[in-house]
Amino acid sequence: MAVAVAKRRQARGLGNERTREALVGYGFVALPMAFFLLFFIFPVGYAFYISRYNWQIFKGPYVGWGNYRTLYHDAVFWHHAVRNTLVYTVFVVPLQMALGLALAVVVNQSIRFRTFFRAAFYFPSLAASAAIASIATYILASDGLFNTVLHHLGYHHTNAWFTQENTALPSIIGLNAWTTSGTMMLFYLASLQAIPVDVYEAAAIDGAGAWRTFWKVTFPLLKPGHFFVLVVSIIGSLQMFDQAFLIGGASGGPNYSTMTVVLYLYNQAIKSISFGYAAAVGVVLFAFIFTVTLIQRLLFGRAEVA
Amino acid sequence: MSTEDLPPIPPLAAAEELAREGEAAKGGPATTTGIPGRERAERIRSVIAYTVMFLVAALFAIPFLWSVSTSFRTLADTLGGFSLLPRHWTTSGYHEAFHTFNFGRYTLNSAIIAGAITVSNLFLASLGGYAFARLKFPGREVLFMLVLGTLMIPDQLRLVPIYLMLVNWIPSWVGHLGFHNASFVNRNGVILIQLVSASSLFLMRQYFLTIPRDLEEAAKLDGASYFKTYRKVMLPLAGPALAAVGILTFQGSWNGLFWPAILLQDRSQFTIPIGIANFRFAYTTLWPPLMAASVLAILPILALFIVFQRYFVAGVAAAGVKG
Repeated sequence: MAVAVAKRRQARGLGNERTREALVGYGFVALPMAFFLLFFIFPVGYAFYISRYNWQIFKGPYVGWGNYRTLYHDAVFWHHAVRNTLVYTVFVVPLQMALGLALAVVVNQSIRFRTFFRAAFYFPSLAASAAIASIATYILASDGLFNTVLHHLGYHHTNAWFTQENTALPSIIGLNAWTTSGTMMLFYLASLQAIPVDVYEAAAIDGAGAWRTFWKVTFPLLKPGHFFVLVVSIIGSLQMFDQAFLIGGASGGPNYSTMTVVLYLYNQAIKSISFGYAAAVGVVLFAFIFTVTLIQRLLFGRAEVA
Repeated sequence: MSTEDLPPIPPLAAAEELAREGEAAKGGPATTTGIPGRERAERIRSVIAYTVMFLVAALFAIPFLWSVSTSFRTLADTLGGFSLLPRHWTTSGYHEAFHTFNFGRYTLNSAIIAGAITVSNLFLASLGGYAFARLKFPGREVLFMLVLGTLMIPDQLRLVPIYLMLVNWIPSWVGHLGFHNASFVNRNGVILIQLVSASSLFLMRQYFLTIPRDLEEAAKLDGASYFKTYRKVMLPLAGPALAAVGILTFQGSWNGLFWPAILLQDRSQFTIPIGIANFRFAYTTLWPPLMAASVLAILPILALFIVFQRYFVAGVAAAGVKG
């Protein structure tokens, strides 16, 4: 029976069959491709187009690079949004990497309860940012758990950490270093498991201790992993929005101390309805992130994380 | 499996890990055992190591446990100084969250949005993934590169154009189809713009590439159509990948803040995260209902995580790229 069908197919000709396969292929990818073109590819060009107009609620006159010039002289953007985003990135990236690596090395040992530890360290990365931010607000409130613990340790801190201009951003840095360390741990774990076991055996034969083995063998061999985690971490930090929005509110309070680039973009678009200007902010941010990605590709080419 | 044509995108590792049934490879460093005299030192070291690890794990868990503890307190209890457990256990925090502050409605909205996005991702990503993995058609590689390229486009760049498209174009297009006055600055818009993601499609494609061709060939000989082969042969074999895509998509859209914050303006359509964000500024120190709402946001993901941990871990790269 099957053979007969196959023979009939062959008789119909291979060319015909190929055309049919191609048509079915286009049919199957049509919906996803239409979606990606409409909601991803096209908006890139459209964003740039919008950014060249004085576009409020309705499309206004063409202004060329006008929005970019305004942005160049925008004090709030540079002195608060960009500055905070850079400060955040400079501190949170090394913290995330160090924490992630430390956790990865720990759960990569042949230890008992390995699955449990891995799960416990990873879970904060999965929980809703809104929930984590409100729990953090509660714990870091003026009479919250954190100040209570500090009090028992002899430090008297009576202010809420998120509502003071000088502690709001550092608190967000600490919070996010904690929540994202689990994700970084898993990235590092993949890199660690790619290191061949005989390297460690050789180190053991040479009589190297655990500490020395880590710094002389493991750490240098993780180079592609470091770089991948670094880039993912930087890109994520430049796009920080959730915690700033949830903790400082849309205005990035207190006094712009939690204003980030993306929050500023959100404000310009949704609160001030300055679509042209907001689009310009988006294009600048994209150019920056794209450069970081490009550097990674150029330096590491096709290197895989694992 | 051919990876020559792929840029270095981490979900590749994830798909490979999924394809490898069972626990992840245990490639830990070799431990130096069996050397006499070292054993005592080893034992002391491992006791210290375990203690430190349990302490760190506890430190990671404390914020969550503290929020659960507070969600069962009275408001007076939260103001009355430190106590580990509630002095008077009460579910009034949950009652208030549900009835006074509408979190029952928000939970339903979150479930609707996350559910719709998950179902659509499963369907479109598996269908497209199958075509990209198995069917030959001119321009296939270029189109697939285009899909992967979307991973480099940040949401922030898309904010303004997509917002304007949802306000102006899409309603008028839909109007031509006979649905007049349709609005997309709401739940529909949130769902529409997340119908499928490149990482879902990528994960499905990579998994399909690992499935041996024999079974399809048999179906082909039996005269099965391509759709039937996809539906009856490929989908049943792709269980782990479907699970990973479904779980990661659900987790991402359940927690989602960016698009809902932009598109959900009517209170009746708020999701839990947006409800929490609004609640935080309106009632700054009503901790028990706020913590109850936070527990509500976390609990479904925790349950999923406990049951399907392997898929979360395998798919982390995809989630990490999404941010």
